[in-house]
Amino acid sequence: MKRLLPILVFAAALAVIEWAGGRPLTTLPLVTVAAFAVTVTLARLVRWQGRIFRVRPGSRSYHALLFALFVRHFAGILGAETRRVLIARRLATPRAWKPGAARSLLFALAALFGRALTRAERFYAAQSLRGMTD
Amino acid sequence: MTPVLEVANLSFAYERRSPVLAGISFTVDAGECVGVLGANGAGKSTLLWCLLGLLKNQGTVRWFPPAPARHALSRIGVVFQNPEDHLFMPTVLEDVALGLINRGWRPAAAREQALAALSEAGLAEAAARPASQLSLGERKRAAIAAALATSPEMLVLDEPTAELDGRSVRQLTAVLANLRVARLIASHDLGFLGKLCSRLLVLGANRLMAEGTAAQVLADAALLERAGLM
Repeated sequence: MKRLLPILVFAAALAVIEWAGGRPLTTLPLVTVAAFAVTVTLARLVRWQGRIFRVRPGSRSYHALLFALFVRHFAGILGAETRRVLIARRLATPRAWKPGAARSLLFALAALFGRALTRAERFYAAQSLRGMTD
Repeated sequence: MTPVLEVANLSFAYERRSPVLAGISFTVDAGECVGVLGANGAGKSTLLWCLLGLLKNQGTVRWFPPAPARHALSRIGVVFQNPEDHLFMPTVLEDVALGLINRGWRPAAAREQALAALSEAGLAEAAARPASQLSLGERKRAAIAAALATSPEMLVLDEPTAELDGRSVRQLTAVLANLRVARLIASHDLGFLGKLCSRLLVLGANRLMAEGTAAQVLADAALLERAGLM
């Protein structure tokens, strides 16, 4: 349940934005949660190991497989970077409600974007040099 | 000797900033191991990115034998500092085989060649494991195996010993020393480059401060001091 929390917060934020904007509530927040649940279930059910040897290079399934693996890999990187940034922030500001704590959270999240961008750039460059982006 | 890389008067600056590299010229011959030595921030990684065409620079970068730019890069094996930038498949074997499959190899042949490359990197037993379960030293060697599997004419490595312990550095040194392919290695690790490279290029103050045999460069304490390496 704890792992579901970020996506539930995100879906709730979508609903709040729709409500605050004076628009009728749509099914978008529910679709977001459903898409997340389906993606996670598929990612766990599919046997990824050895699949690259069974698809035809250049075919749709080849591209779909690489796309899924890229997303899975980058989601892992993003998760690891988030944990690192939040642990560093918690160590620097152990008292959550004292001055500077909220500000540090803001800077930590901003730093996360920078880190994610750098990692994405390097990952893209590495794969590009291997011919994956041709 | 036949050159595999010729760099003439290469300069690079990030937008509206002072130059990071200016007037860099050198060559790398076939089978040669050349080290790019420099302190943190000297521009080693930037130089490699320029050579690989990932940053737009002034000057000339020529790979031999000449080929259209897109094909030229497919003949170079590249290993960045962080092996996670290269390894994302479910197993190490698939990571190494992917470059071959992408080049149109049949799966069985790609698997065989990938196993041979892993074996060369001392990782044959790790083939069926995911990269996330390997140590950093093993992941670096796996990334090297992935680069070597495609039989490149040159291997380019950026800070290969960063964050490695003594044993991992020794294992990495042994793997790289046994290769016959030309190697260009950027690092600030004097001992590592001293053991591997026949020639060293010293980067500092945005330019190529010196070039010479590893023995000459490493014996010049004043030069290393000026380059921020001691």
